[in-house]
Parts: sequence; C-alpha cells; structure tokens
Amino acid sequence: MLLTVIWLLPLLGAVVAWAFGPQLRGWTGPLCSALVGLAFLATCASWGDATAGATGLHVPLVRWLPGWDFGLQLDRLSLVWTLIVTGVGFLIHVYSIGYMHGDRAVARFFAYMNFFVFAMLTLVLSDNVVGLLVGWGLVGLASYFLIGFWFERPTAVAAARKAFIMNVVGDAGIMFAIFLIVARIGSIGYADVFSRFPTAFTREELFLVCLGLFIGCAAKSAQVPLHTWLPDAMEGPTPVSALIHAATMVTAGVYLIARFAPLWNASADARVLVGVIGALTALLGATLGCVQWDIKRILAYSTMSQIGYMIMGVGVGAFEGGVLHFLTHAFFKAQLFLTSGIIIHALHDEQDVRRMGGLRTRLPFAFWAMLIGVLAISGVPGLSGFFSKDLILYGTLQRGHPWLYGVGVLTAGITAYYMFRLLFVTFLGSYRGEVDPSDLGIRHPELAGTTLAEHAEDHEPPHAHAPAWLMAGPVAVLIPFSILIGWLGLGGESSPWARFFGGFFGAASSAPLHAPITESVSTLLVLACVIVGFAIAALRYWRPDALRAIVPRLRAEAIHTPALLWNAYYFDAAYEVLLVRPAVAIGRWFVRTVDPHVIDAGVREAAISSQWLGHLFRSFETGLVRVYALTIALGAVCFVAYYALAGGAR
Amino acid sequence: MIVPPEYYVILSAVLFSIGVVGVIVRRNPLIMLMSIELLFNAANLALVTYARAWVDNVGHVFAFLVITVAAAEAAIGLAIVAVTFRRSVNVDVDEVAVLKG
Repeated sequence: MLLTVIWLLPLLGAVVAWAFGPQLRGWTGPLCSALVGLAFLATCASWGDATAGATGLHVPLVRWLPGWDFGLQLDRLSLVWTLIVTGVGFLIHVYSIGYMHGDRAVARFFAYMNFFVFAMLTLVLSDNVVGLLVGWGLVGLASYFLIGFWFERPTAVAAARKAFIMNVVGDAGIMFAIFLIVARIGSIGYADVFSRFPTAFTREELFLVCLGLFIGCAAKSAQVPLHTWLPDAMEGPTPVSALIHAATMVTAGVYLIARFAPLWNASADARVLVGVIGALTALLGATLGCVQWDIKRILAYSTMSQIGYMIMGVGVGAFEGGVLHFLTHAFFKAQLFLTSGIIIHALHDEQDVRRMGGLRTRLPFAFWAMLIGVLAISGVPGLSGFFSKDLILYGTLQRGHPWLYGVGVLTAGITAYYMFRLLFVTFLGSYRGEVDPSDLGIRHPELAGTTLAEHAEDHEPPHAHAPAWLMAGPVAVLIPFSILIGWLGLGGESSPWARFFGGFFGAASSAPLHAPITESVSTLLVLACVIVGFAIAALRYWRPDALRAIVPRLRAEAIHTPALLWNAYYFDAAYEVLLVRPAVAIGRWFVRTVDPHVIDAGVREAAISSQWLGHLFRSFETGLVRVYALTIALGAVCFVAYYALAGGAR
Repeated sequence: MIVPPEYYVILSAVLFSIGVVGVIVRRNPLIMLMSIELLFNAANLALVTYARAWVDNVGHVFAFLVITVAAAEAAIGLAIVAVTFRRSVNVDVDEVAVLKG
C-alpha cells in the first residue's frame, strides 16, 4: 500500500502542476518538491520491509493475462534507486525553485520534473519486464520534454529529438529481449524469468536476450556507440542535467544489468561484450572531456565516462562496485551540476569556462562545492568516488579482465586531469569575462568582437553574487554525502555495502576470485595515475606563470585542438553520412517520385474513374417515364423468356 | 358450361399486353395510370385462375394484396398527376422530365 503511494505521489504532483499551475503560481515548485520529499520519507519508512527477505516488498496490482501479472516490487536493488531518485530528486526540486525563479513556464517545468520522477519509479519499482519497459519509455519521454523545455531554441529542440530517437533505438532492443522472454518463458515476472531461464534458453538465445537488453542500456546510459545524444542534452535547464542526465535516468542501464544479474552471470559472452563497451565508453568520454570548454559539456562527458565505469563493473560481474559507484556518482555529480548551475546563474547564462576564471573569490561557496565534487569524482582517497571506483576496478581485475582494468586505471588519470582543468580554469587566475572572446579562441559568430559588458543588455557589470539559499542549500546537503557515502564500500567482503547486498546478485562461478596484484597495490596504481593527471592539469593551468599567460594559452589550445577529439571521434559525422543522409535521400526520392506518381496519381485516378462511371450511369436516367416503363417491360420479357426456355429445356 | 382455364389465361395475357402497350405508347398520364390498372387486373385474373385450377388459396390471397397495392398506387399516382397539372398545364409526360440525369 505504502509502495503504491510512493509510486503515485509524483504523478499526483505532475497532474496537479499541469492542471492548476496558473492558479498555484509560486506554490507549484514547493508543492511538487514536497510530494517528492514525501515519497522519499515513505521510502525510508519502507526500508525494513524492503530488506526483509530476498524479494523484499511486493505489491501485486493487476493480472492482464495468465503469466502477465503487473505489480510493484521494492527489494534491495530498487531500494537504492528509489532512495536516490526521490532523495536527490527532492534536493534538485528545491534547487529548481531557485534556479527556475522568474521563468515563464515554472509550472510546466515542475510538472515535467514530477512526471520524470514518476516514470523513473515505474522503471525501478516494476516487478516485471513489461512494466520496466513502460517506465523505460516514459523516462525517455520525460527526458525529451525536459531537454526541449526551452523550445524557442532550435538547438534545444534538435537535441531533444536526437535524444528521443536514440532512446527509441534502445527501447526496440529491450522489446526484442522481451519478445524472446515471453516466447520461451511465457511469463513476464522477474521471479519466473530468473527461475526458468536456465532451461528455457539455449546459450545463443541467452546471449541474444542480453544483447537486446544491453542495446537498451547503451541508448539510455549513453554507451558507445549510442552516446552522442548526452552532450547535446545539456541544452536543457541545469537542474534537469543534474537530475536526469547525471544522477538518475542515465544510470537506468546500470540498474537494468544489475536487475538481470542472473542472466549476465550465466552468459560469459554478454559479460565480455558489456565490459568492453563500458571500458571503451569510459575512455572515450574521458578523452573528450579534455577538449571541451562548455562547463556543462565537460560534466556531460564525465558523466558518460563514469557510467562507462559502472557498466563495466556490472557487466563483468562486479555488481556491488557498479551499484556503489552509481550511488556515489549520483551525489557528487548532482553536486557538480548544481554548482555549475550556480555559476551559470551568477554569470548570466555564460557557460564557456574560458570566459570565467577568478571565480574563487567571487563565488567561494561554489568553489568549495566544486572542489569537493572534483576531488570525489577524481578518486582522491577519503572521498566517495575513491572507494566505488576502486571496488569496480579491482573487481574487474579479480574476474580476469586485466585489459579492462588497465583502461579503467588510465581513465582514472584522465578523469583527474580534465576535472582539475575545469576547476582551475573556472576558479583560478583572474576574471576573463571582459576579454575579447576572439582572443580566447571563441568562435561564436554572435559574440565575435564583443565583450560581455556590451553583450549584456542592461549594461550591468556581471555581478557574481552569492547564490540564494534555495540553490546553495541542496548543494550543501549533497556535500557530506559526496564525501562520506563511499565509506560504505570500505572493508571488502565485510563492508556494510557488501553485507547489505550479501549474495543478492549471485556470482558467475563458484571459483574464488583472485587477482595478480593485491588490492593495496591496485589502489596505489590508481592513485599514481590520478596524481599524474592532477600534476599535468596543475602544470598547465595552476602554475603562476601559466596563470599569467592564460589568455593566449587558451586561444592557442582552442585553435590547436586535435580534430579527432574536437569532432568527438566523428561519431556524429558518421551517423550523418551513414544514416541521416541516406534517410534524407530516400525521403527526397519519395517526395519526387513516389508521392506524385504513386500516391497522388492513385487518388487522382480514383477520382477520375468514379467521375467517368458517374457520367456513364447518369446517361441512363433520362427522366422519361415511358422509357423506364419500356425498360421494365423488356426486362420482364427477358425474365419470362429465360424461364420459358430454361423450363422447356428441363 | 364450364369455361376452360386456358381462356382466362389468354384473356389475362391480352389484357396485360394492352396495358403494356398503353403505358409505353400513350403520353397522357391519366391514360397511363389506367393502363397500369389494366396490368394489375390482368395479373389478378391470372392469379385467381390458377388458384381455382390448382385449388390453392394462396392465389386468392395474393390477388387481394394486389388490389390493395393498386389502390395505394392509384392514390399516389393521381396525387403526382394533380401536382404536375398545378405546376404547368402540360399533360405530356415526356415534357415532365425534371429528374433527367
């Protein structure tokens, strides 16, 4: 019962905000936030029931067909997700009240946000694969709404459409997996699937199911090659980026694989595939983060990279590590995004870090929040990211994937580099907002040759004021979690985190895990990489002489960015050439040939022939009564003659 | 003296032919209506003849039905003729071809 309430509270908020937004005015935000907060409290209250047994809390809702039972389920895994979705979601809702203050469509914004929380809860609370797919599709829809929230911007609309289309590719993959499950198992409930799949599937079919599910993961969680929508999704308002494209929705793929852990445990091919894709995504995302200048795009690529870690972890079987990284990442990435929102808000929608600089003294709170976030994501010992990343990397090594481990360690170093680069360029040195953008290598045509002071309509000098408590408060709440939550993973087999799950995911084989190096050596290796990354960033952006010559340096760097990185490994270009252009060409051909000569011609011919038939039949209607009578008489004669002759023959 | 049924059938056929020719050839609507009555009664005569010959009352029943229909037809037909006369003094049905397609 309580579970149903948790599930439906955000939907109530969405409907109320949608229907009564104009009447509620300024109360929409607080109301929607309160509903999500209430859902969070209710989830906390269900903690005991959820962790009671292996299956936790289960609420059957409806039976559609035999084997098609829909219900809600709150076990340990969905409990973690539900807590993050409602808890971090609540904080971001509160932050949004401050961030979206003064926007014309606040009610619409909060309706979408609550709708998203509802969709995400549908996804994680469902006890069957079809409910999961419904939630999966709904979060994609909510993401589409929110990326395109400022629909006056053509770029936002294009980004929303791109995200939606790529997500639908993933939905098709999941649907394919569901078809196979229903065809072979005949039931959609998780419990039935997990108990019957070893006998129902052959090895190849099992791999196909895993592949279909993973295509869904790759689209939703921005894994290579379906990742290109995530950086563009930053067109949405910053709280949206924090909630959907960092903390919750994009990690749905991690949830999916962790949820289907028994399938992955049984399929070695699927483990290798997912591990490789995850590691590749982590590496590509990190390298692309190094050359971005838009603060939100840097964070977007770092999100992609960190989700790569998670996917690699859950893919190779280190489920605890992957899920813990989701938990820590949700806190520190939300914190980083919300802090970037504070900066963007304070600088009047400036997002280019080259035009920031020197914000440490102007926005001290943002500096400290960003610093802690950067330390956490880089894996500095003592902060949360360190523990979870370590758990994933060492878990990967233990399960016999030294190459993936190597890529992960390397990526940790790159992560440290680009995150500290972001921190140094944004907060150190002197403020560069008055510098001519072209001196910084910025090629926006609308900004060329103008300074920010001229650009601002009110000629007010950019006042980097302290954030209002509504925006600072949620960040302040996130900070202790970003520091401390990772400590749950300390202690290997006997850590609180491992005991919380305690065999929940099962294992691929009963053979004991072993690794060529001990965990301490591995930790030191990762740490060395992080220090190298930090050192390079410090040498390039923190040294006093580097800071003095920062303007020509940023310009040179912007101009000499490797084309491969600047074009994001040509993924977008490849899709353009391979998919978009052929599709447009086919469309053109249809417009030119099929439409006029088949469809239009068909309609035209139908019209002409019916007109011709009409002319034919109207010539029979003479209006002369005697002609009608004659026709009837002739008909009667024929009738009689036929029967007379036929009767005579018989 | 019993008149054989063939005579009745022949009379019926003759009456029917006269009616048909009347409907087709004449242009005066009143005459056409009268010819139609002739058709009905020719049919009635044949029906009654066969009913008598085969000792089957269905023919009689059907004859009564035809008489009813004929009455209704005469009422409607005369009404149409009256309306047509009111519209114009013309009594030629060939001129009243307003329903020409």
